[in-house]
Amino acid sequence: MSDKERNNSVGPVLRAGEVAEAVLEALREDNPDKDFVIEDQVSYIRIETEGECVIRRETMSRAMGRPFAMAELEINLTSFSGRIETTDDQMRFYLQRTL
Amino acid sequence: MALLDRHEWYDIARDTNWTPGYVSREELFPPELSDPYGIPVEEWETFDEPYKVSYREYVKIQREKDSSAYSVKAALSRSKFHDEAGEGWASVLKLHYGSVALTEYQACQFQARMVRFGPSPSMRNMATFGMLDELRHAQLQLFFPHELVHRDRQYDWAHEAAHTNNWAVVGGRHAFDDIMMCRDAITGTLMVSFAFETGLTNLQMIGLSTDAANVGDFTFANLITSIQSDEARHAQLGTPSIEIMVRNGRKKEAQQILDIAFWRMWRLFSITVGIPMDYYIPLEQRHLSFKEFMYEWVNRQYVRQVEDIGLERPWYWDEFLDDIENHHHCQQGGIWSWRPTVWWNPPGAVSPEERQWLEEKYPGWNASYGTYWDVITDNLLAGREEKTHPECLPIICNMCQIPISNRPGEPWKARVLQHEHEGRRYNFCTEPCRWIFTTDPDRYKDHESIVDRLYSGEIQPPTLDGVLAYMGIGVVSEGGHDGADYSWIEGFRAQAAE
Repeated sequence: MSDKERNNSVGPVLRAGEVAEAVLEALREDNPDKDFVIEDQVSYIRIETEGECVIRRETMSRAMGRPFAMAELEINLTSFSGRIETTDDQMRFYLQRTL
Repeated sequence: MALLDRHEWYDIARDTNWTPGYVSREELFPPELSDPYGIPVEEWETFDEPYKVSYREYVKIQREKDSSAYSVKAALSRSKFHDEAGEGWASVLKLHYGSVALTEYQACQFQARMVRFGPSPSMRNMATFGMLDELRHAQLQLFFPHELVHRDRQYDWAHEAAHTNNWAVVGGRHAFDDIMMCRDAITGTLMVSFAFETGLTNLQMIGLSTDAANVGDFTFANLITSIQSDEARHAQLGTPSIEIMVRNGRKKEAQQILDIAFWRMWRLFSITVGIPMDYYIPLEQRHLSFKEFMYEWVNRQYVRQVEDIGLERPWYWDEFLDDIENHHHCQQGGIWSWRPTVWWNPPGAVSPEERQWLEEKYPGWNASYGTYWDVITDNLLAGREEKTHPECLPIICNMCQIPISNRPGEPWKARVLQHEHEGRRYNFCTEPCRWIFTTDPDRYKDHESIVDRLYSGEIQPPTLDGVLAYMGIGVVSEGGHDGADYSWIEGFRAQAAE
């Protein structure tokens, strides 16, 4: 476990369900050069990558098959690694210092 | 009608920092309630909340969250789940609701203090949503257990606990009064929004949901994760506050504030979450150990966030790592032994199979904690149940208000740390608890622990029944008994017979 304490992991923790699946799809599409590590903890899914990632509203709408407002993500976003930045068009997870 | 995008109007709508004309700014925002660190108002005006929401969005989203939580409850309320879930899971729920429900109202009052006295307009705006969030949490967590009161009076502690002097409640009250009820807006937001809500609440509200889903309590799993989705947003009050303090030469103070609050909350959470995860959840439904959840949420996620805003892990980190391996095991032994004093029915939960799981997750458990339970198991097998109840009072820590204990074995590491102040001797369980006292003795010096109250004559009559009644036992409901009716000793009986 201790090797994971020094990390640069960022990303959402979501309630398991269709929104979590759409988020994963959107993350892969919006961050093509990133690898994502997924931890399935039954009731929640932790998705992490190195340093930075974004989820864009347009991509989420496509993944959900309906118009999606970025603020809706809050219903399923129970936590996150790193820091967050929210706008109308995207949600960004990032760190300011790299270890 | 076309609506403007949020970012086109958000800053103007939020920025309500008018210049007072009839009173001074000092009178409008007294430092002792607002910002005692003397940071200029222009600095606070740079506060930019990272997780934005408009009131229109807030209402829409919260309505959806509530409608989901209540409809899952309604759909499952006719299921036979609670008839079949067993006392272990019932104890998880009783402990959770009793310790959390009315604390949410306190959190609501704390958010209201930020709404009124926060030195930054963005902070006041965001805390308004936080205040409404906490109101929702209190109401949900009073309403959900209410339907269970008719089947078991112990569920009534969801509403009653905070009105009693039960020892566990006194511990929670001391800690939350300290970090939430008696702090200015800035110190409080570092303590509550950051140390508490960014760090430890994740374990109780998300980690525990995994176990709830495995047990089949989808109502509870859905409820607590819904609550934490609010916390993830309003906890973001903490980050910009810390950054402004660090930028204005208050890094040392910010670090001390986090270190105090984190330790205080950790001591409580190792009991309210650690014991349920490693003892009350039926073995076959445990997903991860408490320690594994701690490493996921705190040692990996929270500490990384602390370091990213320019602060450090607490000075007592090594002692904290040791405490992850020990404190909740000690308190499981203590709470089980003093089971008549609590409002749930703690199972011993140390059958041969459970002990094997504990040894796997906490190597060395059998050679230490196991020896404590060996004596209890032998007494129960020999029909000497009365010998499993302690005959003397514990020594209570004058900071966390929890019985002082430590890892059993050879040598048994129990010790009391003492401190003299103005002619009174105080007992502490650990260096961080003693250190917190010394950071501000005037704040803490007059409080009396439950045992102090017994010796000082406040608790009358000073008999076992008198003490129990003082703690609400036999008043709100009956106290606890072994939640598994000692069935966990049967494996040992069979082993002995072979």
